[in-house]
Amino acid sequence: MAKRTCIFFISLLLLGSPAVLSQDTVTVPLHVRAGFDLSGPVMKLTGRDLTSYGVLASADINSSLAVTAGIRYSSFSASEVIYDFRSRGLSFTAGTDYNFIKANVSQGKYYAGIGLRYGLSFYSEEASMIRYTNEWGAGESSIPAGRHTGHFLEITPGVRTELFRGVTIGWNLYMRLLISAGAGKDLKPVWMPGYGAGTSGMTTGAEYYISFSIPYKKIKVYVKPKTRQSDEDEEGETEGEGREQTSTGNVSGTSRFPGRL
Amino acid sequence: MIRYPAIPLLAALVALIISLPSCSVQPCYEETDPMMNTLLLVSGTGETAKADSLRVYTYRAADTLKFVDARGTSFFSVPLDAANDESAFIITLNGVTDTAVIWYNRHPHLVSPECGYTLVSDITGLMTTHHIIDTLIIDNNNVNLNGETNLHLFY
Repeated sequence: MAKRTCIFFISLLLLGSPAVLSQDTVTVPLHVRAGFDLSGPVMKLTGRDLTSYGVLASADINSSLAVTAGIRYSSFSASEVIYDFRSRGLSFTAGTDYNFIKANVSQGKYYAGIGLRYGLSFYSEEASMIRYTNEWGAGESSIPAGRHTGHFLEITPGVRTELFRGVTIGWNLYMRLLISAGAGKDLKPVWMPGYGAGTSGMTTGAEYYISFSIPYKKIKVYVKPKTRQSDEDEEGETEGEGREQTSTGNVSGTSRFPGRL
Repeated sequence: MIRYPAIPLLAALVALIISLPSCSVQPCYEETDPMMNTLLLVSGTGETAKADSLRVYTYRAADTLKFVDARGTSFFSVPLDAANDESAFIITLNGVTDTAVIWYNRHPHLVSPECGYTLVSDITGLMTTHHIIDTLIIDNNNVNLNGETNLHLFY
């Protein structure tokens, strides 16, 4: 199974999909899905200052479109020579995922597509110590805890495949675009929960999800009939064509090299 | 064999390339000291004036801080005292000395995660003696990292 999954992932990335059977309609199950992000706990184990736990749910609208919503708790603390900073909060995302794989190939099991989401971050931030230096001398100050609401957009290309019945795994890359950190121009957060560095207009990263899915409906999807036949037939045709080419080759050889005859 | 565009692969590569710099600790390359910028002008005409000599300093209990000692200048920049809501400057312009006091409100400003915070100020008022200075007016009360002119000094 694992081997098949790997093969699927590689084939998604490098090649595309296997040959499509010729038929007019296929029955595709629509799923509701709920999963959690494995990358947050893994990153926490590596000793970073960030704690981040995320869950994501989605529901297929049709064979290629799904609505999705997520919630994430993040806590960040940084203790530097020049400041001590802490932020934590909940972020919510909602949007849609579009599956590029055709229904008759994906069969409700595979996804390779892109998502667009709107994100809201409800967070608090404080800097218990900030240290400054100028010609007058050095000093310390602090920023008391304050609550803010940030807004961002999220673009998430990713892949997902069914590991076994009812369980899928997949990863999303994300590119988040900051609309507003909600804290004014002076107190942008060092880290905005659910987004990343508040001083940066764009953040990138990856999430790795394991999800549980339940089919709730089956739909029939029209598939444009292929004029091409299956691989077996193609091979058969190729062999046939090869034979024909051999005989044709003699004929063309006759025409290409008339002077030798 | 149908071939789909390798969009996920391209996206993965782009994201990895973009995110690579974030894996390392970045040094601070940005300006972190807000300066109060003052333009010298000719009283009456409002034209830019070039002072033959200009010294700006302040007396403290233990020492004297020299901020500016220049010749042939029409512009000077000084930092405000980040530990207090007022700063006093002794301005010696072409050998004649005046004292200016600036009042302001301070508030923290995040420069970047690498550079940390600084204190920017909003000028709320000022006072000056008038030995050589005719007028000292506030042009822009935000003393921040943008480098904008804050005061106009007419003499």
